Amino acid sequence: MSHLLERHAPRQQSERQAWNARTAGVLLLMAAFLLLSGCATSPRLASPGDMGIAERTYIDGVPFHAQRDYQCGPASLAMVLNHSDVDVSVDTLIPQVFLPNRDGSVQPEMQATVRRYDRVSFVLDGNFSSLLKELDAGHPVVVMQNLSLPLWPMWHYAVAIGYDLDEQLMTLHSGEEANRQESFRRFDATWARSERWSMVALPPGELPVSVGPRRAMDAIASFEQANDAEAALPAWHAVTERWPQDAMAWFALGNAEYSVGHPEAAAEAFQHATDQQPDMAVAWLNLGLTLEGLARRDEARLALQQAAALPSRWQDDADQALRRFSD
Amino acid sequence: MMKKLSRVLSPLLIAFLVLGSFSVAAAPQPAPSGSLVSTQDALSADQVSADRERINEMLSRQDVQDQLVAQGVDPADVEARVAALSDAEVRQMAEQLDDLPAGASVVGALVFIFVLLLVTDLLGLTNVFPFTR
Repeated sequence: MSHLLERHAPRQQSERQAWNARTAGVLLLMAAFLLLSGCATSPRLASPGDMGIAERTYIDGVPFHAQRDYQCGPASLAMVLNHSDVDVSVDTLIPQVFLPNRDGSVQPEMQATVRRYDRVSFVLDGNFSSLLKELDAGHPVVVMQNLSLPLWPMWHYAVAIGYDLDEQLMTLHSGEEANRQESFRRFDATWARSERWSMVALPPGELPVSVGPRRAMDAIASFEQANDAEAALPAWHAVTERWPQDAMAWFALGNAEYSVGHPEAAAEAFQHATDQQPDMAVAWLNLGLTLEGLARRDEARLALQQAAALPSRWQDDADQALRRFSD
Repeated sequence: MMKKLSRVLSPLLIAFLVLGSFSVAAAPQPAPSGSLVSTQDALSADQVSADRERINEMLSRQDVQDQLVAQGVDPADVEARVAALSDAEVRQMAEQLDDLPAGASVVGALVFIFVLLLVTDLLGLTNVFPFTR
């Protein structure tokens, strides 16, 4: 009798456990659906008039490359680079951006690979309206989506090439399908899971319409580091034209001009930087050093004195440079 | 291995760089050319020590090269790939390459997950199956 009871008890227990698990599973699923449908609403957008964009747009002439295996990264890059007049094939890009053991490509390398083709990669700010603005401006946008759920991710790169505000449709070259139309709601649900990562590739000198000065300058500084000042010079000119009151933009232009051997133009740019922001010590320092190189000693000393007087981590450098003038 | 190596190498390299900059300071007339503060340095505002940063950068670029090789990238391609990365991207790759999402469009999943995903597809929350819109 006693051993019968003993045999019985575990079975009851396991049945109860199974029932518990089933109930928990159903509840969990319901909760998951509620949560998911809660966050996956159609993106709320300002009217096209307020955003200053057309009702619908389609960027002509973005070539389509169907992805093979897991190579949506290289395929997406080839599409935007080809559209930007860079003659490069998917096969060339694969060894440059694909990670064989991960069966995929990661975002930093997507950005880096663009730079190798003399194009600046700008990561956008992750607003739905910014994406639409870029499309309206004729810039195809590489987007990263998680087509599946966060627990079993299915990361994917595609190229957005158009939209229709009336029909609430996004047009994408995606995977093996050209001109795929996706509802704003579904697109945004899958895009939101990558924290709305998106990138445009533009020749130096062109800027995305949706970015602010900081984002633009970070992108161009990275481009300059991977290439050289000569390649980046048109981009810095574009930044100072778009944001003439931004001292850092003038400072960066000054450095680029100096690096390509135009010290006069550099001094002028540093001068603009200090005009815009008189307490920018580092601009005074570079202005002083540039003027010193141009043998304009009096002006150089004045600039270095400004740099030395302002509290900054370049104060010591300024003091050191000034010592050359004391004897 | 790399971590240990960098722990040993960092202080050494820092020491060398500091010594190096002393001799520059002692030089009677250093040419101003090439000594301007770079845009990258000025942009990274909250930098504790530019020297330390630069050394970590060198080490993590090497680190990322090794990681890429481990991920199956042809060693012949690795150097150019890392050279195109910005400092911030190198840091990101060095610290969290394994956690970064890799765009690939595959899902490794069981049957019941497929059913779940089919439902979420039909609800317009996901986009796993090409035939759902």
